[in-house]
Amino acid sequence: MRAILFHKIYESMRRNPNLFFLTAGVGFNLIEPMCKEFPDRTMNVGIAEQNLVGVAAGLSNLGFKAICYSYTNFLAERAFEQIRNDICLHRYAPIFIGTTAGFDNAGLGATHHALDDIGALKTLPHLKIYSPSSSESIGLIFDEALASDMASFIRFTKNDFSEGHPVSDANRFVIERHAKILIISHGKMVANSVRASEFSSGFDLFAMDRIKPLDAGKLKDLFAGYRAIVVVEDNFKSGLYNSLAQWMAENDVKNTRLHSISVEETYRGEIGTAAYLEDLNGLNPKQIADFIGLINKDLSSYDEI
Amino acid sequence: MTTPNKQLRRKILEVISRGGSPHIASAFSMVEILNAVFRTMALEKIKDGARDRDRFVMSKGHGAGALYVIMHAYGLMGDDDLASFHANGSLLAGHASHFVKYIEHSTGALGHGLSPALGMAIGLRALKSEARGFVLVGDGELHEGSNWEAIMLAGHLGMENLYVLVDSNGYDQMGPLGSSCGIEPLRAKFESFNFATAEVDGHSEQEIMGVIQKSENKKPTAVICRTVKGKGVSFMESNVVWHYRTPAGEEYEKALAELND
Repeated sequence: MRAILFHKIYESMRRNPNLFFLTAGVGFNLIEPMCKEFPDRTMNVGIAEQNLVGVAAGLSNLGFKAICYSYTNFLAERAFEQIRNDICLHRYAPIFIGTTAGFDNAGLGATHHALDDIGALKTLPHLKIYSPSSSESIGLIFDEALASDMASFIRFTKNDFSEGHPVSDANRFVIERHAKILIISHGKMVANSVRASEFSSGFDLFAMDRIKPLDAGKLKDLFAGYRAIVVVEDNFKSGLYNSLAQWMAENDVKNTRLHSISVEETYRGEIGTAAYLEDLNGLNPKQIADFIGLINKDLSSYDEI
Repeated sequence: MTTPNKQLRRKILEVISRGGSPHIASAFSMVEILNAVFRTMALEKIKDGARDRDRFVMSKGHGAGALYVIMHAYGLMGDDDLASFHANGSLLAGHASHFVKYIEHSTGALGHGLSPALGMAIGLRALKSEARGFVLVGDGELHEGSNWEAIMLAGHLGMENLYVLVDSNGYDQMGPLGSSCGIEPLRAKFESFNFATAEVDGHSEQEIMGVIQKSENKKPTAVICRTVKGKGVSFMESNVVWHYRTPAGEEYEKALAELND
């Protein structure tokens, strides 16, 4: 995904002299060709995320579009007030690209886990949030953010899942076999959910890579087709699950139940590989399939409520 | 023809008192700094909204009362707008707001002006423009670490089109800076970050303009303007109470009398 994204950025920098690429000390072996070809528009501001975002605001004031690159959690959380005041308040439209989302940096410890970024960022108006799930969707999402007149935050992982065909929307079905249960997922957990098919065929899968704004107009039809919806995400419940729960409450949705497989809301001292931490939180493919199995058994009881 | 600074202070007293706003002492300390900057910038391009116009960012956003009065004096704000300062439904907030025409950047949360001003200077340089970026920061505000991220990068990049003016009145809202977290020697700090640095009487427009009307080769400029918080009204000078309090009644009349002298 990263190679595709950087190819896209590089091509866009070539075509559009109004683009700046800024990094906060991240992108070793990726940004060097851009520094060479666009020395006036590529800048490493150092390990200084607050300044990264403030400089992007200043560039936006002149009509430039800035692409800001750093680790997801440092960009979203160290520079949160800069994103709020300097970008969203002014309705500027830079693109924030956060790497190593979820448990990508699992072994590095809790300071490097991006689990609360979506919950934090989605409180901000005038900011779109994306969590690309495949090699095909990341390119589409970057183009969408590039064309947008609103700021975008793209958080992505090292995951290299490919759908094998082009996609036409960030929010789309990945598996559609008219099951009674729908998994809605984003980012790396779409790949885990696809692999859950090796253990269960009792679910459809919808990738909701555009987390904010919600596709409110389409959700009613989507929810109407399923008895149960399971949100699978490498984030706390404050992420997409929380957005969908709010949408259900506001729209009086009664015939569909919403479940969550997400990361337990705590900061762990225990580390391991990404797969190890996903196991601890019920996010591995077998665990996802088992959860679907339990809900499938339970579906008949839904009618009694 | 510029407006005399006493007259500007009288106007500041009037709008702040009418609006019931705090921060009059902060507004009084920066009058000459603002006047020097607005005398230096190319105002016609600002009025035209030219992409390559000079930029001014008031990082010390709580001095909004002074900024609006200066803008009014330079023809960038009308009488009715100025009269609405701090009132219900007005866009003229108690901190500098970009919802007001000609204000480049909203500030108020401290430490949010220098990086955007640096970004503007970088953008102007990319446009190969001779326009400049000016930013006014408070000395207490320099406690915020984000400022030093921007200062470090500006010095590294040799941003000769960036001018950082420090309203160095020696106070934050709790009292003298030295009693909380001292920031001196400020000049040595800026110099160590590759800034051409000058220390001037912050109530002398001429001294300030003498620095900001020239540029140093491959260096940003810092102007440490030594000022008095509450300058111009004896009972407000270096009295931290006037960071919060709005003059009214007898206090208003007394302040006005001093500014009429």
